[in-house]
Amino acid sequence: MSSDPSRAEALVSKIQVFEPHKASLPPMGPYLREFWRRRRFAVELARFTDKAEHLDSPLGSVWLVLNPLLLAMIYFLLVTIIGGRGSAGSSRFDVLAHILVGLFTWYFAQNCMTFGGASVTAGGKLILNQAFPRALLPLSSLIGAFQKFIPTLPVYLIIYLIGGALDSKSKLPGLNWHLLWIPVMVALVAISGFGLALLFATMNVYFRDTSKLMTYGARMWLYLSPVLWMPDMIHGWHRILIWANPLGPILSITNTVWIKGENPSWTLWLGATGWAFGLLLIGGYFFVSRERDFAVRI
Amino acid sequence: MTLQYASKPEMPEGLAVRIEELSLRYKINVESKMTLKNAIMRAGRGEKRRVRTIEAVKNLSLDIPHGTVMGVVGANGAGKSTLMRAIAGILPPTEGRIIVNGKVSTLLALGVGFNGTLSGRDNIILGGLAAGLEREELEARFDDIASFADLPNGFIDMPMRTYSAGMYGRLAFSVAVNMTPDILLIDEALSTGDAAFKEKSFEKMRQLCLEARTIIIVSHALGTLNELCNKALWMHQGNALAFGNATKVTDQYLEFLNVGKVPSALEDF
Repeated sequence: MSSDPSRAEALVSKIQVFEPHKASLPPMGPYLREFWRRRRFAVELARFTDKAEHLDSPLGSVWLVLNPLLLAMIYFLLVTIIGGRGSAGSSRFDVLAHILVGLFTWYFAQNCMTFGGASVTAGGKLILNQAFPRALLPLSSLIGAFQKFIPTLPVYLIIYLIGGALDSKSKLPGLNWHLLWIPVMVALVAISGFGLALLFATMNVYFRDTSKLMTYGARMWLYLSPVLWMPDMIHGWHRILIWANPLGPILSITNTVWIKGENPSWTLWLGATGWAFGLLLIGGYFFVSRERDFAVRI
Repeated sequence: MTLQYASKPEMPEGLAVRIEELSLRYKINVESKMTLKNAIMRAGRGEKRRVRTIEAVKNLSLDIPHGTVMGVVGANGAGKSTLMRAIAGILPPTEGRIIVNGKVSTLLALGVGFNGTLSGRDNIILGGLAAGLEREELEARFDDIASFADLPNGFIDMPMRTYSAGMYGRLAFSVAVNMTPDILLIDEALSTGDAAFKEKSFEKMRQLCLEARTIIIVSHALGTLNELCNKALWMHQGNALAFGNATKVTDQYLEFLNVGKVPSALEDF
């Protein structure tokens, strides 16, 4: 941090030139520099938005954990009622543990999509009146979703350990070295989530009903993802459900690490990394190449 | 339609803003809301999207030296606000280019207060961070901003949706002028404050001019503009009709308002 930020800033933004553009990227060097320099804005926006949301709800943050917990209970009941006893010999708690960790991970990505998707249209006034790298708005949604996700991890760990110990039929591995993969897994979900946020934020500017459609789309996507069912349940060409699904590989990795206690295969890692950076590149290109039009479209 | 200048722009010493053959066009949707549903239904009927191209600014060239206080006048829809947004770098030019020398602070239709559920304090910090200021710098200036805005007791920590239009305007103005901008852009914000605050804002703007800062004001209050500005620009349907001495231009504009006709001598400007 320089001792005199205003002086440093004056040097950066001394002469600016505004010129016409095609539907292509602005010079990425200066863009990313400005993006990084103003990251504090994204952090504070996430914090303030959170504050505004919970002003009138003392249970606000509790709900963040409670909501997926209750949903997991509902899905668990559904799955066990419809599926009967499930596959032979498997413990019911293991199924619950799988659904729960899948839902927590899923909600992290879905929050990125929903909040990120609305971030640009919600920041209308700011976009009309201030010039700044617009990608900071979806970034702020990512930070917000991350802050909502983090408290669910210790909650899950407690349920996971206590339930695994109480249920004699449980085959959960408990604490094991593979759990050290968690930071990598979270990072991959975050990168995918940011890509999705950029993508849907842009779509929402052009088609205002995107966020409405997304509610249904996300629900369908959830059913097609290995959250309510185990990734091992499908075989042969049905496995395309996992590979063609941007969140399929990472959700399978989550299952492998937490439920099976094994090292995920390198193909899964490759799939998850590929989707994460693919989404980031596609979403980033889509967003940044069009963001100069946002002020007209809003 | 692109004009990419490879060379670094040359900017004469003493110029704050240089506008070169600037044109701004954008399309607006004539039809109802832009939704995916409508787009699909339209495609099903084989219709095209009905859009109208608005030429907000047509081939405008202008040099604004440092220390100028320029008023912009014109009827509604003349392209004044679009021009301001282009100078601020919010709207990209369709043709031509704009070179800006210095830090721009915008007060365009009330920049702060984009989130009504947050307090004035939070909005100031968010707006400042988006403008590229450092958090520490903002905290340091916060007292100046708050005391200049001089809101009724405790309002600075209340949600901004509880503010009256006047309070909104006071805070927005206070933020814009206290960011120590080199170029201050003000769009129709002077009318919201009461008489005492108006006097205070004049004082502040005069002071900013003395420090050789540049101010561009869009307003319909011609008396105010005459009092504050040394230059004025009259825009009409995207064209610059007159640029020069403030009282002269506002007189011409006033005559146009009364007569309702664009003076033919000015049309080629």
